[in-house]
Amino acid sequence: MTNARPSIFDPDSALAVGIGRLLLAVTVLLVWQLGAGHLFDIFFFGKPSLIAVSIFNDLRDPGFYRDLGVTGMEFGMGYVIGGFAGIASGVLLARWKYLAKLADPFLLALNCIPRIALAPMLIVWFGIGMSSKVFLSATLVFFIMFFNTLSGIRSVSPALCSVAKIQGATQWQIFTKIMLPSASSWIFTGLKMSLPFALVGVIIGEFMVSSVGLGYRLNAYATAYNTSAALGMIMIMMCLMMLLTWGANALDARLMGWRDDGGDSASAALKA
Amino acid sequence: MDVGQLEREAVAMTPAEISAAGAPGSAAAGYLVLNNIAKTFVARGNSTTALQATNLTVGQGQFVTLVGPSGCGKSTLLNLVAGLIEPTEGTITIGGAPVRGTDRRIGYVTQADNLLPWRTLRDNVAFPLELAGVPVTERRERAEFWMHRVGLSGFGDAYPSELSGGMRQRGNIIRTLIYGPPVILMDEPFGPLDAQTRIVLQDLLLSIWEESRSTVLFVTHDLSEAISLADQVVLMGTKPGRVIRCEDVGIERPRDIFQIHEHPVYRRLYKQIWNDLGAQVKQAVE
Repeated sequence: MTNARPSIFDPDSALAVGIGRLLLAVTVLLVWQLGAGHLFDIFFFGKPSLIAVSIFNDLRDPGFYRDLGVTGMEFGMGYVIGGFAGIASGVLLARWKYLAKLADPFLLALNCIPRIALAPMLIVWFGIGMSSKVFLSATLVFFIMFFNTLSGIRSVSPALCSVAKIQGATQWQIFTKIMLPSASSWIFTGLKMSLPFALVGVIIGEFMVSSVGLGYRLNAYATAYNTSAALGMIMIMMCLMMLLTWGANALDARLMGWRDDGGDSASAALKA
Repeated sequence: MDVGQLEREAVAMTPAEISAAGAPGSAAAGYLVLNNIAKTFVARGNSTTALQATNLTVGQGQFVTLVGPSGCGKSTLLNLVAGLIEPTEGTITIGGAPVRGTDRRIGYVTQADNLLPWRTLRDNVAFPLELAGVPVTERRERAEFWMHRVGLSGFGDAYPSELSGGMRQRGNIIRTLIYGPPVILMDEPFGPLDAQTRIVLQDLLLSIWEESRSTVLFVTHDLSEAISLADQVVLMGTKPGRVIRCEDVGIERPRDIFQIHEHPVYRRLYKQIWNDLGAQVKQAVE
């Protein structure tokens, strides 16, 4: 079928897929735009043209960049702290069997706390400044990174370790040259999965109490029933996260080129 | 000592071993010596004897093949010599020094290629040198030399997932040869390969071995492979795993592996060992 008659209706052709996607997006936006005021209430659902105007206004507002900076800083710190702590704990527990057995039920219990429920307590503990948002974001990232690192190191092939041992590798060499690289695809998958969670933590924290940040700005628009501006903020957040994810995927493809199973480890990590 | 044990020992000893074991200077005659080795595994309260009262003497520079049905303890024997596991009884010595734990005097070519998937072929081949702290330019040169020797020039930058099974297995073999261990263990290295690739690699292995003359212990299922390659074929039996007998292969070297099946000595040995091997295989299946 693929080589019989190449046409744009061939479902495998990149052109057909591209055109289809464009048509879908344009149709949704057109229905939304033209139906606003008739099919949907603008008060609740906004209108694409109004959203575009409010995004444009936001992007011209110096206050937006201050909010972006603060949220970006909280996001970055939460991601780095949570990621680093998660990887380090994963490595520690993978290496130290007794500690792993000891900590296992407690970690499971901690992971079962809906992290968002911690938000009010975090504000009590860390105050209304940046640190409560950073911490909430870090706890979300931590457990993803922790479990992924642990599973990654535990799934290292014992045969690869034995071969290295026979070739004269020390325990440290086995750890740095076999275990860590072998777990790296799990760790990378975790780092990609954590990106949106880190932002969720920050935004929730900003919803609770804050006077600055993208979450604060979104909350301010929504409580003022400025639907178009609020939806505009959501779209800005969406675009920022898409950019980050795209960057992470590009980095992943570059560094993990040796992996022949494509995204298999991602689904394995989700099951773990 | 009960009668059963006497019987088992009588079965386990071959004339060659009895003479070697009987001589006080047997360490000189044998480079790799397994002295009355037994290995019992205990799992969930059940103990399984994988290997029992095994004696084996391999001279320096000898190529010895181990052949036998599944469950005859061939792999256990290799793991014991490699120092990955410890014998329940008996001692293993190499050049008079006992084996304690893993040791760079011993190289081990596994059945699965076990190349590191995140390293290029060149870095996989050079890995043992990297572990030993050999400078990067020297280890690259030596890796290139060996890749060239086995027809892998130009594949240095490929990842294992980009290579064929035969190429990966060649990589697996040369990454052991690159650090020149005096004893090389091979666990069915050509097992997963197709018949043509297998015979080409057998030929390649023999021609490399002719140059280095390291001591080789080579496990295989394939009697034809066992006779073609070896100075000595060791037939192993099952339930429990043990050495049944050793046969010297008196075929001159260098050998033409593609024509060796015509050789009268090959044919005679094949027929002789096949009868015993067949009996062991049947017993293993029952």
